[in-house]
Amino acid sequence: MLYIQHKSLIMKQNRVEAFFNKVTRNHKVILILCGILFITSISFIPKLTKDTRYDAFLPAKDSVLVKRNELKKLFGLKDPMVIAVINEEGIFNKKSLEIVHKLSETLKKVPGIDPDQITSLSTENNIKGTETGIVVDPFYEIEELTELKALEVSKNIDDFELYQGSLVSKDKTTTLIVAEMLDSYDRKQHEVYNSLYEIVSNLEEENHTFYLAGEGAVSGYLIKYIDEDAMRTNPFAGLVIALILIFAYRTVRGVLLPNLMVLASVGIALGLMAAFGVDFFVITNGLPVVLIAIAVADGIHILGEYYESAAKFPEYTQRELVVHTMLKMWRPITITSITTIGGFMSIALSSYMPPMIYFGIFGALGVCIALLYALFMIPSAMMLLKPQKSKVFKTADTVDIYGNIMVSLGKVVIKRPKAILTIALLIIILGIGGALKLLINEDRIKNFQGDEPLVLADKIINQKTDGTSYLDVLIETPNEEDLFKIENLHKIDSLQNYIETLPYVKGSTSIVDFIKKMNQSMNENREEFYRIPENNQLVAQYFLLYSASGDPTDFDNYVDYDYKLANVRFRMNSGEYINEKMVVHKAQEFIDTHFKSSSIKATLSGKVALDTHWLSKLGFNHFLGAIIALLVVLIVAGFSFKSFTAGFLTVVPVTISVLFLYTVMGIMDIWLAVGTSMFAAIAIGVGVDFAVHTIDRLKYFLKEENLKITDAFNQFYKSAGRALLFNFLALALGFSVLMTSSVPPLNQFGFLVAVAVVVSFIGSMTLLPAIILIFKPNFFINK
Amino acid sequence: MKTILLIVMFAIFLNPFAGISQELMNGQLIAQKTNDRNEGVSLKRDLIMELKDKRGKTRVRKTVALRKYFGKEKRLVIFYKTPTSVKGTAFLTFDYPDATKDDDQWLYLPALRKTRRISAANRGDYFLGTDLTYEDIKLETKISNNDYNYKTMGREKIDGHDCYVIEAIPKDASIEKELGYSKAKFWIDSQIWMMRKSESWDTAGNFLKTVKVSDIKKVQNIWTIHHINVVNHKTKHQTTFKFENNDYDAALGDDYFTKEALVDGL
Repeated sequence: MLYIQHKSLIMKQNRVEAFFNKVTRNHKVILILCGILFITSISFIPKLTKDTRYDAFLPAKDSVLVKRNELKKLFGLKDPMVIAVINEEGIFNKKSLEIVHKLSETLKKVPGIDPDQITSLSTENNIKGTETGIVVDPFYEIEELTELKALEVSKNIDDFELYQGSLVSKDKTTTLIVAEMLDSYDRKQHEVYNSLYEIVSNLEEENHTFYLAGEGAVSGYLIKYIDEDAMRTNPFAGLVIALILIFAYRTVRGVLLPNLMVLASVGIALGLMAAFGVDFFVITNGLPVVLIAIAVADGIHILGEYYESAAKFPEYTQRELVVHTMLKMWRPITITSITTIGGFMSIALSSYMPPMIYFGIFGALGVCIALLYALFMIPSAMMLLKPQKSKVFKTADTVDIYGNIMVSLGKVVIKRPKAILTIALLIIILGIGGALKLLINEDRIKNFQGDEPLVLADKIINQKTDGTSYLDVLIETPNEEDLFKIENLHKIDSLQNYIETLPYVKGSTSIVDFIKKMNQSMNENREEFYRIPENNQLVAQYFLLYSASGDPTDFDNYVDYDYKLANVRFRMNSGEYINEKMVVHKAQEFIDTHFKSSSIKATLSGKVALDTHWLSKLGFNHFLGAIIALLVVLIVAGFSFKSFTAGFLTVVPVTISVLFLYTVMGIMDIWLAVGTSMFAAIAIGVGVDFAVHTIDRLKYFLKEENLKITDAFNQFYKSAGRALLFNFLALALGFSVLMTSSVPPLNQFGFLVAVAVVVSFIGSMTLLPAIILIFKPNFFINK
Repeated sequence: MKTILLIVMFAIFLNPFAGISQELMNGQLIAQKTNDRNEGVSLKRDLIMELKDKRGKTRVRKTVALRKYFGKEKRLVIFYKTPTSVKGTAFLTFDYPDATKDDDQWLYLPALRKTRRISAANRGDYFLGTDLTYEDIKLETKISNNDYNYKTMGREKIDGHDCYVIEAIPKDASIEKELGYSKAKFWIDSQIWMMRKSESWDTAGNFLKTVKVSDIKKVQNIWTIHHINVVNHKTKHQTTFKFENNDYDAALGDDYFTKEALVDGL
């Protein structure tokens, strides 16, 4: 029996050897193929398009998104660029209003801005009652603007509740110019943002300050922002990796080959993204750095083995050395790659949001490419070179400082296994507590550093006015002109009154506000007539009267053409998920009780409802992703070690690392948000490598070499331990590079994964050997 | 250099428009001819307004429109019949021949039982939710005598009818602002001196509107429009006016054209 097993092992060994012999013999063809694949893929990269809109977080077919897009089309709603004009002494003077006019006119000529969709004091109409009737007139005409007229405009705004807070701040120091973009500029919002930013920053008017914000500006600036960020973090990550490789092997090929592999992994993954027309999202920006850190590991292990073998077998030819190295390394690097792929794929499988799904898919693909290049390109490229020794591995027994560090760590483990176990248990308990208290939250403005002009602008606009975060409510009635019905108007009015009492909701606009205003105007502007009139016909006739001096398209944003559908827009001055969620839930409750009839229906939509919809899935998906990743690792490790014990032990350090992070997140007040929510699956897929290598090597020394535990540990720490130390440094430092990112979610993601890597490395180096020492599992120890 | 000069001269020689302008009728004269047309003294007709927004949703309003000349002063009254929500609403306007005097307009709202005066609208304001302006309504496909400098561009056929094509530029900035047009082009039937088509551009120079007039037939020996279609290219809003049961002989007493008559309806 043993003989047969041994024979099959040898046969398998022979087959693998034959395979790598083939690879090394056809190295030139392989290198050419690798080159072609790389060049073809990266030729697509210029086609990558960036999508930073919040819509991008939902699949195109999502029912809530579809409904929202219908609503946008129906009422011509867009995510606007918002410019605030602030004069602390008040904006109702000739000069300020001139500036508003000038700026509004300038905006009309900016490419990408819809010239008919600019809302400001200089474009909007006032509805005014006169002795004889009703007049719809611009608030002011620039030709007739005087100081006196400016004061009249102020008075008119006092009489027009609708514009208080939305167009002019209640303290009258701020007025907004809201500009909508043309649909054709959906992916080019940064161009519009840049033009506007230039206009705004070149404005110099005494006593006036100008700010640019709004959802359109956020999307536009994000494109520019993540571009600049990538330009900085990617080369930096490459540099860090190169430095680590220099320290590890101190040879040119030791730096060059793994770097080529990294380049291929990142280049091909991004190239294929472009080729398949997948957009580049904000979090995609983290992918290159993540791949750089992960892909280099295979190279580190292969070269480590190569130099060790070169020291051990000086008589080997280059082919023998390469084949020998690959024979020993193909298995662990394949297993670790599969577990990492598992980590990425569990993000793809557990997520609902396309940016995360694609992050998972293309991350997995990048790791796959790295493995392919490790198995084919590295041995082929080595064949072009002569055998070489690294100064680090002079002879088979040389142990450098890094080896020594690891050996001393091993001694600590042998002395204090129980203490290690206790600490691990403590981390687990604290971690579970942390996980239960995790705060799920998100705010798009938090994608920027706090001192960015856009963040400042957003803050000021939200302070001064009703805010720029919109909740839209679609009102549907079955028949034409149903929205002239008094009972329906009262329902809408009560909805507005209720939602406006909720925190962070500062104001709202609907057709009802205009009807009230018309009623007031028709009744000598008397305040008590700012209400819904008593009969349906009158409402219809008001609209006809309005059309005697207003434009036919004036109410397009609020009511559809046959008065069946209406949009009520609520303005919130917070874009934070937890605040939005609370408002959406309360609003939904109200709708469920008051809009149940067949004669009128209400549906929540707009950015606020959309945010609540996709973010509500985030927490569940995060834990689901982590659990899938753990299962994948457990199954892959269990099968490849053919042991449940080994599989179980493999997941121990990563589980602890993730639990540890929940505690860290609680202490450091880090939200579980879009960027950070991916940390667990990645940390598991990546961090498990240490455990795989540890278990694989320890088993080899203990079971196959049949060494005593202390000797086996000693051997393990100085060889595999040393390679793992560099693998760890590459990962930890690589992910730390993300901490230099100026995009806070990536920054936090990098930090979390880096910490997780530290914990799982320490766990694999201490806890796993400690468990073996204490429990002496059959898998390792010949009894 | 010589070659270029030769080419330029040759081009001028070949230019089909060079020289033709002398044969074309002067634009101002064409405008005058549209104003000299016989419109009868009074006219009663059904006016159906179909308004369509960019998504293709329509509002149909059926009205009866009466028009009568009081010397050079023109009065127009429109009574709404459907939809029920605006039934009984009536609109009255007095167009004074003196350009400096603002026109008077009133709207009667039956739900309020009150007649409201509408303050003098800008000539370029939209007329009761349609894509035609007050000025367009007033002119009834005539071409203004005073507002534009005309240039005759050539002749083209519209629906098989020979038309002069004239380009019109507002005489000054204030007229341009008032009308809301920076440029207009008119296609004028050279036989009956009625406009068959027009195009206009807004004050920012964007292509704004196309007006098509069709189904022009003689009624009681007077050339009468039966169909007008207006497309606003900026808002994608459309308006169709259909005129039916045109009657120049209907007895229209002066009393129809008073504020008091609005209340009583037809």
